[in-house]
Amino acid sequence: MQRIIDSILNHKDVLVFLILLLLSLYLLIDSNYFHKSKLNNFSDNFSKVILKESSSIEDYLNLRNENKKLVKENLRLNNIVFSKKEIPNDSLLNNSKYFFSAAKIITNNFSFTKNYLIIDKGLKHGVEKEMGVTSSTGIIGIIMEVSDNYSSVMSILNTNSKINAKINKTFHFGTLEWDGNDPRILNLNDVPKIANIKIGDSVNTGGMSTIFPENLNIGVISKIDSKMAGNYYDIEVKLTNDMTSARNVYIINNNHKNEIDNLKALIN
Amino acid sequence: MNTIYINIALRFIVLILAQGLVFNKFDFLGVYDPYISLVFILIFPVKISRISFLIISFFFGLSLDYFSNSLGLNATAFITIAYLKPSIMNFVFGNFYDPYGVKMIKHYIIESTIYQKILYVFIIIFLHHLIIFSLESFSIDQILIVFKKTIYSSFLSFIFCFSFIYLFKNER
Repeated sequence: MQRIIDSILNHKDVLVFLILLLLSLYLLIDSNYFHKSKLNNFSDNFSKVILKESSSIEDYLNLRNENKKLVKENLRLNNIVFSKKEIPNDSLLNNSKYFFSAAKIITNNFSFTKNYLIIDKGLKHGVEKEMGVTSSTGIIGIIMEVSDNYSSVMSILNTNSKINAKINKTFHFGTLEWDGNDPRILNLNDVPKIANIKIGDSVNTGGMSTIFPENLNIGVISKIDSKMAGNYYDIEVKLTNDMTSARNVYIINNNHKNEIDNLKALIN
Repeated sequence: MNTIYINIALRFIVLILAQGLVFNKFDFLGVYDPYISLVFILIFPVKISRISFLIISFFFGLSLDYFSNSLGLNATAFITIAYLKPSIMNFVFGNFYDPYGVKMIKHYIIESTIYQKILYVFIIIFLHHLIIFSLESFSIDQILIVFKKTIYSSFLSFIFCFSFIYLFKNER
């Protein structure tokens, strides 16, 4: 017995190391793979408060660029509104399928292969899981986890993210994925070789899911590789949205989501 | 003894804030962030017992995780590096290294050559980055990307950590 206690005392460094290693690995696996309510417990802690303060300082420094972006967006929206002959009345707006609300990014990350963002809106503001997030220039990601005041967003720069996209000219659908390499380039898979596509064609969201509406900007085709065996192209898409400088975003709420999900559940 | 602990606490806070608020948003070439927080491990006093070193590094990594939204990732990397640090020092500094704390840390830093210092800093940075990036992607498919990221970020971190240590060396 004395020997056992002695040997434990002799190797107490290793023991402490192993305990701490197991603890941190448990935290790592639990938070990354299951996305349980871990974030709820940790989200409103001190670091989020500090990060929010620091992001408000950065916001002030970036005001000039943000203003430019807003002017551009206003111009685009004005063009849409005034090119219509009749301006839609309020009752039509209330019946619309998608509802947008504004939010701000407080932390953004793209140095890993599985990147997440944090935005400053949560349950209190009506945010729910699996809502889409977009900026004025392109899509950002999908909401994974919601706490009272914050939500975490799976960035499109995440190797697990799969987004339904279509090529605007030919209406061919594909799946948009990231290979973890360059934050400006995404891969568009599953586009059949019969599609007549060229470099420079624009790629938009497909509208086949309940998360993103159709025809949101994603990017333009920058490289087409058809040498590989098989019936599908390897397409690289250059994002119109600079993910590394995104700040102000919109959360998309699909009012018909429950209805569609119920139908899907009935089929299965 | 008290001044050492106050020093450690100060470094803890300053390096966490520097890493979390400034260097995580550095984005060299769009992707690469330097890990200035490794300075905490690099210049941690040898006098303090190994167990307290491990526990302090665990909490250091954990606090960093709160800022980078990656619970457990930095903690794992930091305790592994903290555990390996004595063996690395033994390997690099050889007879300069004195685990019983008779020599002060500054003695063997002054006595050792510049190549030994560079090797010591680089080994620790490279191992840390390799652990972080491979744990984070966690798949064999992406092993080339992991190595590419490790090598690029290691050079970036190396430049920052080395100059940081040299800048603040004279104060102590």
